[in-house]
Amino acid sequence: MARVLVVAYGNPLRCDDGAARRAAEMLEGKFLPDEVEIVSLHQLGPELAESASQAQCVIFIDAAAGDGQPGQVQVTRMSDGSGEPADPRPFCHALAPASIVGLAIRLYGAHLQAFSVTITGQNFDHGESLSPAVEAALPTLIEHIDELIQECLSKARKS
Amino acid sequence: MKGNTIVIDPVTRIEGHSKITLHLNDDGRVEDARFHVTQFRGFEKLAEGRPFYEMPSLMARICGICPVSHLIASAKACDSLLAVKIPPTADKLRRIFGLAQVTQSHALSLFHLSSPDLLLGMDADPAKSNIFGVAEKNPALALDGIRLRQFGQKIIEQLGGKRIHPAWIVPGGVSEPLTEANRDAILWAIPDALAIAERTLEWFKSTMEGFREEISTFGNFPTMFMGIVKKDNGLTFYDGKLRIVDASGHVVADDLDPTQYFDYIGEKVEPWSYLKSSYYKPKGFPDGIYRVGPLARLNVADRCGTPRADQELAEFHELQRTAVLSSFHYHHARLIEILYCIERLEQLLNDPEILSKHVRAVARPNALEGVGAAEAPRGTLFHHYKIDEQGLIRWVNLIIATGQNNLAMNRSVLQVAKHFVQGKRLNLGMLNRVEAVIRCYDPCLSCSTHASGQMDLQIQLVSPSGEILDEVVRS
Repeated sequence: MARVLVVAYGNPLRCDDGAARRAAEMLEGKFLPDEVEIVSLHQLGPELAESASQAQCVIFIDAAAGDGQPGQVQVTRMSDGSGEPADPRPFCHALAPASIVGLAIRLYGAHLQAFSVTITGQNFDHGESLSPAVEAALPTLIEHIDELIQECLSKARKS
Repeated sequence: MKGNTIVIDPVTRIEGHSKITLHLNDDGRVEDARFHVTQFRGFEKLAEGRPFYEMPSLMARICGICPVSHLIASAKACDSLLAVKIPPTADKLRRIFGLAQVTQSHALSLFHLSSPDLLLGMDADPAKSNIFGVAEKNPALALDGIRLRQFGQKIIEQLGGKRIHPAWIVPGGVSEPLTEANRDAILWAIPDALAIAERTLEWFKSTMEGFREEISTFGNFPTMFMGIVKKDNGLTFYDGKLRIVDASGHVVADDLDPTQYFDYIGEKVEPWSYLKSSYYKPKGFPDGIYRVGPLARLNVADRCGTPRADQELAEFHELQRTAVLSSFHYHHARLIEILYCIERLEQLLNDPEILSKHVRAVARPNALEGVGAAEAPRGTLFHHYKIDEQGLIRWVNLIIATGQNNLAMNRSVLQVAKHFVQGKRLNLGMLNRVEAVIRCYDPCLSCSTHASGQMDLQIQLVSPSGEILDEVVRS
């Protein structure tokens, strides 16, 4: 299992909601497969907890529909490996990143770092294209993810 | 509570948006109950004008839980338009795909959606009735749920290239043969999946004694049951004849051709829901009420055709001397079907022809109308298409399992509400049970109304004058 698991999720048929999936495509081939695994999903299911438990670091990438400026990238540390992230949401069919990490810790005894990287979207209507602001911010998003991966790999190599 | 109406809105741990209204009489007792489906998509209209060969992929988009079932029914309708007999290996591969789909969907329903009710009890705090509550109380059960669903999803991915919305099934067969490596990988995983199914079934049966009140009140009433069976009346998910039995277990209709469904299945639209209600035409509406899905399939089937599932089916049929009536037993039936699916997968994968490269028949349209029917996890699924001379879709009709269970779901909610709702206030145990009875059917509202969304529940308590007495919303 790779040391870093990158989970990009969203609906590529809802414009900016597919930004993370596009980022995943851009990241493909940039890293050694035994060091970084990239998965691209519509939504997060509990099955992901097992894969997360086998990684030393998990990076979730998603489009955010918050109040930020379109294209704004935000990195949040969810877990430093010492405990569960706060406020896991109850399960319906889709889980939040914190729930995946929580399940990995509770069910598999995982010790992992977890990060959430979001890019604020502007248009979540039907369609396969990104809004100009989000399209323009993709290199910044990749840069942030790349930095996180390098940081995680560096820690993993030392451990 | 507002006036004399209880509203539960939204219903949680189901697929889609819905609400429930409970109508009280002047004495404050529940007189009527309605399960409203409040979402709408209309895939039948969206498909008009599209080339027929796009239909399997388009129809798979109806649902992220059971895209494979829509792929199968849609491809069968397209086979009918092509007027081809698909290669035997393609037939077997489609069956494998369908069995994997049923396994993962049933695992989702039982482990992730309903096991909190079964493990933590119907009076548990909704904040804890979720997979985290299960993980805390019985981590082995939570792990088994994850592994069993993974097993089914992995097969779908190995055959179709991805877990959700695979496009591997095509008109005339499948697009790629099965590789030896994937065949061996699936076979390797079967013993573990089988062991999970066996121990979960034992666990479930050991809990049933604690749910006697629910068993007697969760959709425990006479209806007919319908499902596709093989020629020998054995369980099947891919094709066969339609069979209908009544509440006493007697055969009402047999050897019905699924492609002629319109002769015996009617659909009624209610003004308060986007979900149509199906009924058996010869008995009219609403007397033609019938149920589909795991409970119905095991009521209409004489045998499963695999050793362990047959043993369990015999035991299941002993639950009641008539047909097994309580919808609570959908859970039990679901587990037996999981067992069957895994055993049957092993049989099919060991077939010497399964690696054959001949997996697709190619033809131009040779008919202007085609029907495909199959058993989806939630029940019988019909896709019916009409095309023009250019092969463009002109008319579509989809009859989905959840619509066929609509009358029974409404009646089940009424039965539970009459038994558990006391007075003009909603309490936790009552709310949980009203939700839980709907969950027995594992309704897929996105499929049945063809809508997008989250899993929500709304319950309203309504007075005789229409005033809303109480309302609870969960999301």
